[in-house]
Amino acid sequence: MSKKKTRRRSAWREVWSEFLRSPRGVFGLVLFLIFLFIGLAASWLTPYDPVTDRSLAAAMARPAWMRLFPKYKDAPVTVDVFLLRNWHVAERENVEIDWREREGADVMVITSTGEGGGRLVLEHKFEYDAGAPDVFILELPYAFSGAAGVTGQARITLETPAGDTYRLFESRVLRNEQRWTVQRVDSRDLQLKMRLGFQPFANVAKELFGERGEYRLVAEFEMTGASEAGTATFTVGESRFRIPGQLHGLLGTDHLGADLWSQFVYGTRTSLLIGFIVAIIAVFVGTLVGIVSGYLGGWVDELLMRIVDVMISIPFLPIMIVVVAIVGQSIEALVFLVAIFSWMSVARLVRSQTLTLRERTFVEAARAAGARPGYIMRAHILPNVLGLVFASLVLLIPSAILTEATMSFLGFGDPTVPTWGRMLQNAKSFGAFTALAWWWILPPGLALTLLALAFVFMGNTLDDILNRRNGER
Amino acid sequence: MPGAYVWRRLLYGLITLFIIMTVNFVIFRIMPGDPISLVISPEFTPEMRQLLMKQFGLDQPLPTQYVLYLKNMLTFNFGRSFYDRQPVLDELLDRLPNTLMLLGTAFVLNVFIGITLGLQMAAKQGTRLETAITGISLFLNAMPAFFVGLVLLLIFGYYWPIFPIRGTMSVPPPTEFWDIVVDRIHHLVLPVAAVVLSGYGSWYLYTRNNIVGALTQDYILTARAKGLTNREVLYRHAFRSVLPPIVTLVFLSLPGLITGAVITEQIFSLYGVGRYLIEATLRHDYPVVQGAFFIIALAVLICNFLADLVYGLVDPRIRLR
Repeated sequence: MSKKKTRRRSAWREVWSEFLRSPRGVFGLVLFLIFLFIGLAASWLTPYDPVTDRSLAAAMARPAWMRLFPKYKDAPVTVDVFLLRNWHVAERENVEIDWREREGADVMVITSTGEGGGRLVLEHKFEYDAGAPDVFILELPYAFSGAAGVTGQARITLETPAGDTYRLFESRVLRNEQRWTVQRVDSRDLQLKMRLGFQPFANVAKELFGERGEYRLVAEFEMTGASEAGTATFTVGESRFRIPGQLHGLLGTDHLGADLWSQFVYGTRTSLLIGFIVAIIAVFVGTLVGIVSGYLGGWVDELLMRIVDVMISIPFLPIMIVVVAIVGQSIEALVFLVAIFSWMSVARLVRSQTLTLRERTFVEAARAAGARPGYIMRAHILPNVLGLVFASLVLLIPSAILTEATMSFLGFGDPTVPTWGRMLQNAKSFGAFTALAWWWILPPGLALTLLALAFVFMGNTLDDILNRRNGER
Repeated sequence: MPGAYVWRRLLYGLITLFIIMTVNFVIFRIMPGDPISLVISPEFTPEMRQLLMKQFGLDQPLPTQYVLYLKNMLTFNFGRSFYDRQPVLDELLDRLPNTLMLLGTAFVLNVFIGITLGLQMAAKQGTRLETAITGISLFLNAMPAFFVGLVLLLIFGYYWPIFPIRGTMSVPPPTEFWDIVVDRIHHLVLPVAAVVLSGYGSWYLYTRNNIVGALTQDYILTARAKGLTNREVLYRHAFRSVLPPIVTLVFLSLPGLITGAVITEQIFSLYGVGRYLIEATLRHDYPVVQGAFFIIALAVLICNFLADLVYGLVDPRIRLR
């Protein structure tokens, strides 16, 4: 038994090394691995939720790298920093910094040590190298609690490259308790304009970010009190500073100002997942039907093959549309339906392979030794069709992905799941064509094409290798 | 016996049709809710409700309903649309010519371009031109059909607006005969191009691969030795040997083409059966969904049957089995 296993393993290794010698196969594999990485690392590649995060930049903002073209070199580019982990401590006097959790999110807890006061100054420096923006927004969620007699104050200041400083926010002098508040600073806010000394109709964002260079955001938390008064605490949540731009991210934005790169990245994940699940189900069913049909023959074979004939001739897209319309648009229903209509080709392939295997001497020997059909199919036929099954698995994945994309594109996908097909459907429905928003239309379609090509290259290479090996035997 | 073969294929086709109809019946009835609401819109007048109730036997037990349903489907009596209250069959017949025009043109061009190009490039195998064309064909073949349509729409409909972006005719339509013809063709260019660009690739690759294989055979060497020109060798000998599988494939590709037409019609907002199915599905217009689906399924089955017949004709082994 163990000898047989090693022989089988070395056969796989031979196929693998032969695969690596084929440029076409390697090209497909590399392409696939790139997509696999994008899909797996989705949540690491983008901070946004592909479905709910909107208004991150202007509607249909072009990709940020478009500023390399002269026409867009003065367009504002999105800046979006989640500050909590990006703060640097600039000054620190008598305070301790601690990390806790509040409602599932990290918070920074600043406690004054010893008697009296303490002070913490946090800074974040960033480069702004684009045209003047229309808006900037700063959010600072915080809370304060202190012993009697201790007061606290929070301030946020912006320093421009020219050295001007603007006080964006200054809390009142806090005593005792200050409940959790999300302080929002919006450049369009009239009070802010007045406080900074601008006219009511002035564009503060333009004034403040008119230069290119290094900006510095400074957050200051100050606690003061009599020396015997006790401690005070500031709790600071995820603060976010953002400038919604006319140019945004890697792939720009859609009609709602949502990030297309995050839709693309999560779409990759969904596509691959759907492709694999469908292909595995289909290959499982197909192999089972193929082996049983081919080995047992007779009326079982006749019946199963007629079912295959009927299933193949059912117009597959229309019936999926009808069924999805009735059972509702869910990703599970879609996966199930695509799988139901995908196993037939595998069944035919495996059956024809089984027919030749059935006549081979080792199977005859097993039969003569009294082995039951179930055992022969499992122990003798199945291992010998696995290569074929694997090749058809690889070839089934892209067609499953394409079918899902087509269904989503036609508007029958799951509305809660981000996919490439849905991106294209949105693009078609919400004016991407009128706006010539190629950055919205091309990436999902090209990705579908490249992923399909990757699988076709890998599958065909595998197919060739297996055919050659079968021919040699 | 060729007769037995034909009858058997016909029988399988009918069985498939029967199964499709049954599935259609069942899925519309396992749906939660009132089955009557599937055939009769609550907005219909009481008289019309009565008439449809009787026609579809909705007051009868399920088996009777089933028989009535089969009868109605086979006589193309699909009821009335919820949306515009027109008989579904009339609406379908109104749209059918547009779909057939798209399908017919695209199909002919597909086969013609694919096979001719395949033949030519097989003869030029290994040249730079052949490599480029094969690469492009592979790429286009891997592209989802709807994406090919979208790219064409973006480039030739919006960026250079030289072709209309939607519909089968201008609004208002022209009056002169030749103007109508020109207008129609103008509207057809992009949809047909979309179907052809995403479809010719498989034809091209199939023909090319087969001819390349055939050109290594001994009889080709004989033909060359006889002093025939390359052209004669290619068309009279190599092509003839791969003709049977290609002819079979022509018919086998028809169902896929029909499915492709559904998508293309939707992209270019053509007034056809496929888009009718999609729109009706999206607005839960069940009689139309059933009717349009039935027509499409019927067309696919007829194509399958034709494919089987032709297969039997060109490959004697099948017929004799």
